[in-house]
Amino acid sequence: MSSDQDHLKETDTEARFEFKKEEKSAFETGKGLTEETIRVISEDKDEPEWMLERRLRALKQFQQMPMPDGWPGAPDLSEVDIDQIVPYIRPDIETRGGADSWEDLPEEIQDTFDKLGIPEAEKNALSGVGAQYESEIVYQNMQEQWEEKGVIFCDMDKAVQEHEEIVKEHFMTKCVPPSDNKFAALHGAVWSGGSFVYVPEDTTVEMPVQAYFRMNSEGMGQFEHTLIIAEENSEVHYIEGCSAPKYSAFNLHSGGVEVFVGEGAHVQYSTVQNWSKNTYNLNTKRAIAEADGTMEWVSGSMGSKATMLYPATILKGPGATDNHITIAFAGEGQNIDTGAKVYHNAPDTKSTIESKSISKDGGRTNYRGLVHIADGAENSSTSVECDALMFDNDSTSDTMPYMEIQEQKVDVAHEATVGKIGDEDVFYLQSRGLDDDDAKQMIVAGFIEPITEELPIEYAVELNRLIELEMEGSLG
Amino acid sequence: MSTQVHANLTAEQVAQISEELGEPEWLLETRQDALAALEDLDMPDVIKTPGREWTNLDALDYETLVDPLDHAQEKDRVDAEGVDVLSWSEALDTHGDLIEEHFGSVVDPQRNYLTALSTALFSAGTVVYVPEGVDAEDVKIRTTMNSRSLFNYTLVVAEESSSVTILERQATGDDAKPVDEGRYYSGVVEAVAGENAHVQYGALQNLSEETYNFSVKRGHAGRYGTVNWIEGNIGSRLTKTSVETRLVGDSESQIVGAFFGHNDQHFDLGSRVWHEAENTTADLVTRGVLRDSARSVYEGVQDVGRDAWNTSSYQRENTLMLSDESEADASPKLIINNHDTEASHSATVGQVDEEDLFYMTSRGIDPEVAKNLLVEGFFVPVLEEVAVDELREDLQDLIAARLRE
Repeated sequence: MSSDQDHLKETDTEARFEFKKEEKSAFETGKGLTEETIRVISEDKDEPEWMLERRLRALKQFQQMPMPDGWPGAPDLSEVDIDQIVPYIRPDIETRGGADSWEDLPEEIQDTFDKLGIPEAEKNALSGVGAQYESEIVYQNMQEQWEEKGVIFCDMDKAVQEHEEIVKEHFMTKCVPPSDNKFAALHGAVWSGGSFVYVPEDTTVEMPVQAYFRMNSEGMGQFEHTLIIAEENSEVHYIEGCSAPKYSAFNLHSGGVEVFVGEGAHVQYSTVQNWSKNTYNLNTKRAIAEADGTMEWVSGSMGSKATMLYPATILKGPGATDNHITIAFAGEGQNIDTGAKVYHNAPDTKSTIESKSISKDGGRTNYRGLVHIADGAENSSTSVECDALMFDNDSTSDTMPYMEIQEQKVDVAHEATVGKIGDEDVFYLQSRGLDDDDAKQMIVAGFIEPITEELPIEYAVELNRLIELEMEGSLG
Repeated sequence: MSTQVHANLTAEQVAQISEELGEPEWLLETRQDALAALEDLDMPDVIKTPGREWTNLDALDYETLVDPLDHAQEKDRVDAEGVDVLSWSEALDTHGDLIEEHFGSVVDPQRNYLTALSTALFSAGTVVYVPEGVDAEDVKIRTTMNSRSLFNYTLVVAEESSSVTILERQATGDDAKPVDEGRYYSGVVEAVAGENAHVQYGALQNLSEETYNFSVKRGHAGRYGTVNWIEGNIGSRLTKTSVETRLVGDSESQIVGAFFGHNDQHFDLGSRVWHEAENTTADLVTRGVLRDSARSVYEGVQDVGRDAWNTSSYQRENTLMLSDESEADASPKLIINNHDTEASHSATVGQVDEEDLFYMTSRGIDPEVAKNLLVEGFFVPVLEEVAVDELREDLQDLIAARLRE
C-alpha cells in the first residue's frame, strides 16, 4: 500500500493524462490487469485519492487470490481468462451509452424485446441505446419527490463526488471487502457505475426505487456497484431491472451490492436478471442488518452462461430478520449456481430462504447455501426451502445446503424437493383443452408464484414472460 | 502428503501380518501396493465451507496411534444356519476364490489415505458368505478391542435370492492396556448383494472415548436387491464414518443412523446413496443428540445418475442440541441428473421443546426426568426403523444410560 502511495506522489496529474493518451492503444491489446489501467479509470472519473488507493489495494488482492476452485458441481470458469478482462474495459469507457443503434444489438436480444412486446422507444431505452438520456429523466422525476425528505438516489460515480464522506465510510469496507473473494477484489479494482441509495432516519420511501434504465445506460455496468444505506427506522425497496440482457462483447459481469440496514429499518432488494448467454455472472451481494432491521432479497436469475451468486445477510443486531426468495432457470448450456448465505450473529434473529429452480434442455441449476448460527445467537430460527423442477433428462439439479449451528436454543429447518413436471397435472390440463406447452407453462407459473407475488406487477409479468419464452425454446 | 506413519510402518510388518493370516500372494501385493500408495493419497474428503474445514483429520498423529503388530482383540462370531461366518484366515482357506473376486470391488483399497492404511494393516476380519437361496437371521460379530490400534475388515457376499441380517458391535475391552496417546480403530465393510438378495447390516459402535475411529461401510445392491444399514454411534473420541450404497440394479437401500455425543466427542457422519439404475428407492434417516461440547458433522448425499429413471429418494436428518457448547453442522445434498425423480431431503436442528417440557413438569414430572423422556422420545422415529430387535434394544439402553450419567 505504501508503495502505491509513493507511486501516486511520483506521478502528477498531467503525466497521468499523457500516459493515458499514449497508452491508449496498449490497452486494447494489452494483457492482464495493471495498475495503470486502474489509474486511468480513476482519473477518467476524477476520483478522490482514497478511492484510487482502494482500487489499487483491491487490484493487489485480486492478483494474489486464486480462482474459486474445487467446489463440487461449480461452474467451469476455465474460459474466464483474467488476462482478457482488461482489454474490454477500455472500449467501455469510450462508448458509454451502449450500442450505437438498435440494429447493432445481437439478434437474440432484439428478439427478446420483440417477444416481450415492448414498444420501440422503450426497447431502445432498455437495451441501452440512448438510455443515458432516458435514465436521467427517470431519476429527475423521482428525486423531486424524495429530495425534500433527504433521500439520495443517484449513480455511484456521482455519489463518490457529491457524497464523499458517506461513500468513503461504507464503500467496500465493512460489508463486502475486496478480500472476500477473487471477483469481489476484481470488482473493487475496476468497478464503475451502479446506484447509490441513502435513506435518512424515520423515512419511508413508499414507491420502489428502480434502477431499471440505469443499468443499461452505461456500458460499464458490467462492474456496477450498488450501495444502499437505510438509516434507523427507514424503509426502502430497491429494484434493479437487469431484465434487459446485456449485449456487449463483455463476457464477464462482476457486480457488487452492499446494503446497510439500520436499526429497525427495512430494505428490500429485488432483481430480475437476464444476461446474455455468453456472460459469466460472478457477483458479490451482501447486507448487514442491525437490531430489528429487516433485509429481503428477491431475485430471478434467468440468463448468463454461468452464474455464481449467493446473496448474503449478516444479522448483526438482535431481532434482525432476513428473507431470501430466489428463482433460477437454466436452459441449454447454462449453469446457474446460486443460493443464499445467512449469518445469525445475534440473539432473536430470523431468516427464511425460499429457492425455486427450473432446469431444461441440459441446463444445470445448483442451490448452494449456508446458514451459520453463531454461539450466542439464542432463539434464532431459520427455515430453508428449496424446490427444483426438471423438464428432461439432460438437465441437472443439485441442492447443497450447509448448516453450521453453534447455538443450542435455535430452530433450524431445511427442506428440499426435486421432481419432474407432473404427468398427471399436464394430463389434467390437457383434458381441459390446453395444449402441452400451455399446460406446462401454467404449471411452471404456479411453481414460481411465491416468487412473482413478491415482485411489483411489471416485474412479475416480465419474469413470467421471460420464462414462457425460455420454455418455448424460442430464445438462443 | 502424510508421511508420518512410515517411521513406524514397514513392508516387513505388512508381510508379517499377511503371513500370520496365511494369505495368498495377490493379497499381500494388494497390501504392499496400498502401503506404497500412502505417500500420494489424501485424507478422506471432509466438508469445507469458506474459512473452515468441518473435521480436521490431518491433525491426527497416526504415527503414535498405530502399532501394526499389536492387535489384541476378542472376537465373537455367531453364525446362523446355512451361512458361513468365518475368521479371515479360515475364510482364505475355504473361500479363497470368493475373496479374490470381491475384495476391494466395493471399497477401493486406495480410495484415500485411511482406507489404504486399513488395507495395508488389517489383521482381523470376518467373511460372511450367504449361498444362493439361504435366509440367515442373527449373524453376530462382536469385536472387543484391547490394543492401541486395530484394523478390521468385513466382507459380506449374499448370493442370488439369499438374505442375511448381521449385527456388529465394537467396544473397548475392560482390560485393554491403558494408553496415553489415544487408540485408533479402523473398520472397512464391503457388502455385495446379488440379484434379489437382501442384506441388513447393523453396527453399534461404543468404543472408549480415547479412540479415534474411521469406518467405511459400502454396499452394492444388484437387481431386486436390498442393502440396509443401521449405524449407531455412541463411543469414540472422534468418528469419521461413511455409510454408502450403490444401487446398481432395480434395488433399494435404507440407511438409518443414530448418535449421541457428549463431552468433547466429534462425529463426522456420512450417508450416501448413488442411484445408478432404473426403479431404485432410497431412504436415509438419521437422528442425533449432542450434549456438553460434542460436535456432529453430517453429510447426506443422494446422487441420481443420468440413467436412473423412476427414482425415489428421501432423506431426513434431525439433531437435538442439549447444551450451548455443542455444535451441529449438516449438509444434506441432492444431486439430480435424471428428471424422472421424486426426491426430497430435510434437516432440522433444535432444542428440547420448551412447551413439551412445561407440560410435563406441570404434571408433576421432575424437570430432569421430563427432559430425558423427551430425548428418548426424539429417537423413537429412528428406532422404529431399526428392524433388528436386539440392536434397537441395545441402542435404547445406551441412550438411556448416557442420559442418566
